[in-house]
Amino acid sequence: MKYKIGLEIHTQLSEAGTKLFCDCDSNYRKYEPNTNVCPVCLGLPGALPVPRRNPLKLALLVSKSFNCEIPEFMVFTRKHYFYPDLPKNYQITQYEKAGGIPVCLKGILKYFDSDHLTWKSVTLRRMNIEEDPGKTEYSGGNILLSEYAYLDYNRSGVPLLEVVTEPEIPTPRDARKAVEYLLLTMEYIGAINPRLEGSFRVDANVSVEGGERVEVKNIGSTLDLEKALKYEIFRQSKIVEEGGKIKRETRHWDSIRGVTKPLRSKETEEEYLYFPDPDIPSIKTEPLLKEALSSNFMTPENFMNRITMYGVSQRIAWSLITVKPAAELFLESVRIGSDPKITARILAIDYKGLLKKSGKNIYEKSNWPNKQILKLLSTLVSNKLYTYDELKYNILPKLLENGNDMNLVLPEKVEPTNLIISVINEEKKAVEDFISGKREALDYLVGKVLKKAKGKAIDPKTIRKMIEITLTKH
Amino acid sequence: MKETAVSILENIRKGSLEMEDYVFKKLELIRKKDNIINAYISIDSEDFILDRINEIKRNIASGKKMKIPGLVVSIKDNISTNFLPTTAGSKILENYIPPYNATVVEKILEEGGIIIGKTNLDEFAMGSTTEFSAYGLTRNPWDITRVPGGSSGGSAASLAYGSCDLSLGSDTGGSVRLPASYTATVGLKPTYGTVSRYGLIPYANSLEQISPMARSVKDLALIWDVIKGYDEKDATSVNNNYKSDNKFKICIPKEFIEESEPPIKSTIYKLLEKIENEGVAIEYEGKFENLKYALPTYYTIAFAEAASNLARYDGKLYPISSEGLSYKEMSENTRRYYFGFEVKKRILMGVLALSEGFINDYYIAATKGRRIIRDEILNMTKNCIVASSVSPILPPKIGERIKDPLKLYAMDIYTVVANLAGVPALAMPAGFYNNLPIGIQFMAGPFEEEKLISLGSLVEEITGLYNLIAGD
Repeated sequence: MKYKIGLEIHTQLSEAGTKLFCDCDSNYRKYEPNTNVCPVCLGLPGALPVPRRNPLKLALLVSKSFNCEIPEFMVFTRKHYFYPDLPKNYQITQYEKAGGIPVCLKGILKYFDSDHLTWKSVTLRRMNIEEDPGKTEYSGGNILLSEYAYLDYNRSGVPLLEVVTEPEIPTPRDARKAVEYLLLTMEYIGAINPRLEGSFRVDANVSVEGGERVEVKNIGSTLDLEKALKYEIFRQSKIVEEGGKIKRETRHWDSIRGVTKPLRSKETEEEYLYFPDPDIPSIKTEPLLKEALSSNFMTPENFMNRITMYGVSQRIAWSLITVKPAAELFLESVRIGSDPKITARILAIDYKGLLKKSGKNIYEKSNWPNKQILKLLSTLVSNKLYTYDELKYNILPKLLENGNDMNLVLPEKVEPTNLIISVINEEKKAVEDFISGKREALDYLVGKVLKKAKGKAIDPKTIRKMIEITLTKH
Repeated sequence: MKETAVSILENIRKGSLEMEDYVFKKLELIRKKDNIINAYISIDSEDFILDRINEIKRNIASGKKMKIPGLVVSIKDNISTNFLPTTAGSKILENYIPPYNATVVEKILEEGGIIIGKTNLDEFAMGSTTEFSAYGLTRNPWDITRVPGGSSGGSAASLAYGSCDLSLGSDTGGSVRLPASYTATVGLKPTYGTVSRYGLIPYANSLEQISPMARSVKDLALIWDVIKGYDEKDATSVNNNYKSDNKFKICIPKEFIEESEPPIKSTIYKLLEKIENEGVAIEYEGKFENLKYALPTYYTIAFAEAASNLARYDGKLYPISSEGLSYKEMSENTRRYYFGFEVKKRILMGVLALSEGFINDYYIAATKGRRIIRDEILNMTKNCIVASSVSPILPPKIGERIKDPLKLYAMDIYTVVANLAGVPALAMPAGFYNNLPIGIQFMAGPFEEEKLISLGSLVEEITGLYNLIAGD
């Protein structure tokens, strides 16, 4: 059955430094409740919103990255609804139909489909900047059992960039890839840390052929987005196939149960009394954009082009790009002479794997080796002093242990033939097992050889092959 | 010769006037008279004032240059102060003490002013008589059976009976000028953006300015000099170094006078004759085509902005709150019980003006009307200062106008134009009729406040009507 998917992605400009209209911190998570607030973000009467430059600049850079039509002026509007966590009972946003002008009118979200290693794109309808509301909390996290609702305005006024796509995304998987690419781009710009709890939310519109549009709200991760869309398409298709009708409604994604639940039926547009905020004169975009572009920034696409130029495959390049410090480190060390392919393999696969295994944060630049060590390591392999696997199994783990110390003691090379012979002589039972067809015995023998070679450079794959050849000859 | 703020300041600087004596005399006067006049909603304690005087004296001793050290200032209760409650004349903000000071308050404190109390107003500045205050109406010191005008009626009355030297009001559609004309005081609505609105509890953001008041134009110049200027906390604030010349010509579009009550008309024409005799050119043939659109345009915009600004009072962040089983019930009850009738009416009309299906015919139409009116007045003030009545009627009796909203709103016909266009306008005494004050308004081009002050100084010398205190 044919279907259409459109997305509304609310991203927090968590790295902006300030809130949208005051100097409180954009990263509110580290504060005690109601301590990251001021008269402006509490909406106290008489306090006035003054747009801060940094959030606006970041939003303009995101717009520029997706080829947006950027209007000459931005105009903020007020959107009214009564809600406890909205201090003024209106949200300052950029609704374009009531005299508002958003930061981006029309753009193209070009994203990388890493499953098929191709670039795809979806049309962006608009992007608008707005303020985040505060938060309502319940004791024990339970709305039904809590005696009180607790209001925390630390988040109130944090800049949000709402990105709206046309309903033309082909599959749930594509929706996920597109959002991941958007977030990655924003991370490269320095606008967002997408790994922060609650740093983005997605509302998805889905309609199957012959049905009306259904909005699924409150999707908090890209994995959930794919799941929610699959579920919703399945649900709607089934109803249509059984002769039912899909009514226009808003549903809620329950990530624990993995289902969407009805929230409210949406017969008509809600009345938000939009009008331009008289406290904020229209803002010229050109000088802000100029200022923003003066600091160098590269999109993931720019990185992809640079990295593949060095002969690194798209798959490996993408693996580097998804971890910004790794991608940056790659370019830095290649620039001083590291071997591109070896460096890419170290960073994208093996060192990344080691970091993850040891529980270290791969997004933290200081957890990665510096560019000089990388140059040294790649030279060891390209000059055939060590095989790549010797590097991988003997040197990289040591590097991780030594905390990326430049004075890394390189392991002695060892001639494995003697070690293998002595293991074969000692481990009669395992040898027999292997000959009688038990493949696991080979792993055991390899392990024994490695143990004997302790501390010296040795390549398990080579050992494996050598044992196999030796025993087969028997 | 009665004391002016200017002469008091001189005496304080010379040391011939003891600040304590002076301020405590004002407090005594307030104690004696304010239970009838009701110009104030809250007054400072004696201890607080003594501390303040000591602070000012220390500053003087340390050589700090201040513009108004020791002068007594009253401030309209919709301007935020962190040392006195700020209610905006509404029950819904009862006991609300803002955690911050308005920029103008900071400036007055910085320049040595003594803020003696907060003055009464129509609830959220919505009114033209100061009868819509939740804290009781204010009486006109010149005739206590009459209103002092509004919404800054408390500020005007506080000056008119001599309880302070200077005052701050706010002017959304005539709210300092109308009270000035009804109490024989002076009020200046500045060019939009020249005085920071930071800390002014909003009624209609795009129209209003915090506005100085005094008993003479020369006194007014003192406080104007303190409060004006760019403020980075207000995005609509302007950074302007415009210097206006002091050559003036006056023009009189007859629409701005003709519909006034006869005593007002004749008083103003007589005064204009005297001004002309002093060598000021006057052109009587002016026309203002679009005055008929001014009131509907003004009220539509004001109500729409008000409906939005007042959405925040729902019982969650301010001391006053009704109980309810849900947020919806709580906020509805709070708004039902603690907003006054006039405020609710204006919110309702504002919501209508912004609603789907109505916004084009109301709010959007009004913004177009506003542009037309602004263009016409800007064009006119390029060549001359526009003279007019302030109010078409003499100060009404208490209760007389609020019965009929259309008659009430019509009181603002001559004053709203300056707010729609963002231009400065000065109201000052023109004469008396049956012991009731009559005012005249002068409207100039953007940033021509100095020009208005020069003209006003000349006019008050001609009339001799300045530093008038009711009951003296």
